[in-house]
Amino acid sequence: MKEKAYRFLLCVSVVLGSLSVASSTTAPLEQVRLTVDEIITILRDGQLESTAKREKISAVVRQKFDFRAMSQSTLSTNWRKASSVEQQRFVALFSELLEETYLRRIDAYSDEEVSYVQEAVRDKRAVVDTIIRSKTADIPVSYKLVLRSDGWRVYDVVVEEISLISNFRSSYREIVQKEGISGLLAKMEEKIRELRNPVNVEGAK
Amino acid sequence: MKHFVPCLLPVLLCFVLTAPVAAEGPEMAPLSSEQSEPLDEFIFEEEEEVRAFDPIEPFNRGIFWFNDKFYFYLLKPVARAYRVVPEPARVSVSNFFSNLYTPGRLVNSLLQFKFQDGARELVRFVMNSTIGILGLFDPARAVAGLSRKDEDFGQTLGHYGAGGGFYMVWPFFGPTNLRDGLGSLVDGFLDPVYYFHIKAWERFGIKAVDTINATSLDKDTYESIKEEALDPYVTIRNAYTQRREGLIRK
Repeated sequence: MKEKAYRFLLCVSVVLGSLSVASSTTAPLEQVRLTVDEIITILRDGQLESTAKREKISAVVRQKFDFRAMSQSTLSTNWRKASSVEQQRFVALFSELLEETYLRRIDAYSDEEVSYVQEAVRDKRAVVDTIIRSKTADIPVSYKLVLRSDGWRVYDVVVEEISLISNFRSSYREIVQKEGISGLLAKMEEKIRELRNPVNVEGAK
Repeated sequence: MKHFVPCLLPVLLCFVLTAPVAAEGPEMAPLSSEQSEPLDEFIFEEEEEVRAFDPIEPFNRGIFWFNDKFYFYLLKPVARAYRVVPEPARVSVSNFFSNLYTPGRLVNSLLQFKFQDGARELVRFVMNSTIGILGLFDPARAVAGLSRKDEDFGQTLGHYGAGGGFYMVWPFFGPTNLRDGLGSLVDGFLDPVYYFHIKAWERFGIKAVDTINATSLDKDTYESIKEEALDPYVTIRNAYTQRREGLIRK
């Protein structure tokens, strides 16, 4: 009897132990699947208006995307050259810019399916490959993740071989070269203002 | 334009699904606790990176400006008017052209000894030309799960080690580089339209329909880049270069 109870306790502790390990780091592919599925569920919700969708999605993304890592990767070597005040300012502006840019596209979503292909983990970084199946084509989309103390976070998205962060890096580097970090920050502020109050952009609908 | 519209179109689609979001609005919930935790300073600096070689940038920017006007004042208005054609029909037109261009993909797969890709193109062509009614539908993808894989002579050259050379913007056709520009001249001979016994203006007409149709299916990709990028020229140059290098690796 005593032995049985002992064995039972042992089993429980092993199971609990493994559970806590598993929950502290969900595998990268699983993490991406959960996030994307959550976003798609919100997108498909016929009851929600687009402002409500926007808020819900932004709440999800704020937990799963790592804006500091995105910022650091975008500035690359210029990150170390920036003062910590400039760094903080950049993270804030860059996050805002991404939101202004991409959340407005929520209404363009039309029932694309996503399949999850594979994950590759190397040290504290991982790449998860997925495919978006749209009406006319299959679009390869990969997520790059970095391991933080409470789990994997996305810091780059690669669509059809085009890395979002690397794309920002290329144009931001040129601006920093010509106008310095302060020039870049000023341009970002101006762009955010423009996107919030759309003036008549040539050819815009 | 024809070049980069299809290649950037999916970028939008995906951003819809991934939607990176801001953190700093006062009305918003705080970032995850990790957002402020510092990362190793050097962690991202060794990330591989594609850089375009652009010695004739001022000239390219001139052509870019010209293409921009052409897009906003001619191509886009025409494509918008053409949207009266129902979308399924326009998707079929796009499928038809894609099927027509099979020889280019097939030959370039074989030139790179990618026999599996070549065979897939062949099966796709047979299926889509028959069950898919002359290529108007894509049952090979929808039913058999065989997706198209783009191959062209620029990729073939890249496969054998040719670098991109310098970046160029062509009037009407948009971004390219020395390697891919030469490649598309060669691909011209793999385009069945080249061998049709028709007049030059008719040939031009076919290409115009293809371009207008593709533009009509695009969800304002160029407009978004124009509106959002700090420097649209650099954004497109980088996207083009990354995309081409990525395609060559595959």
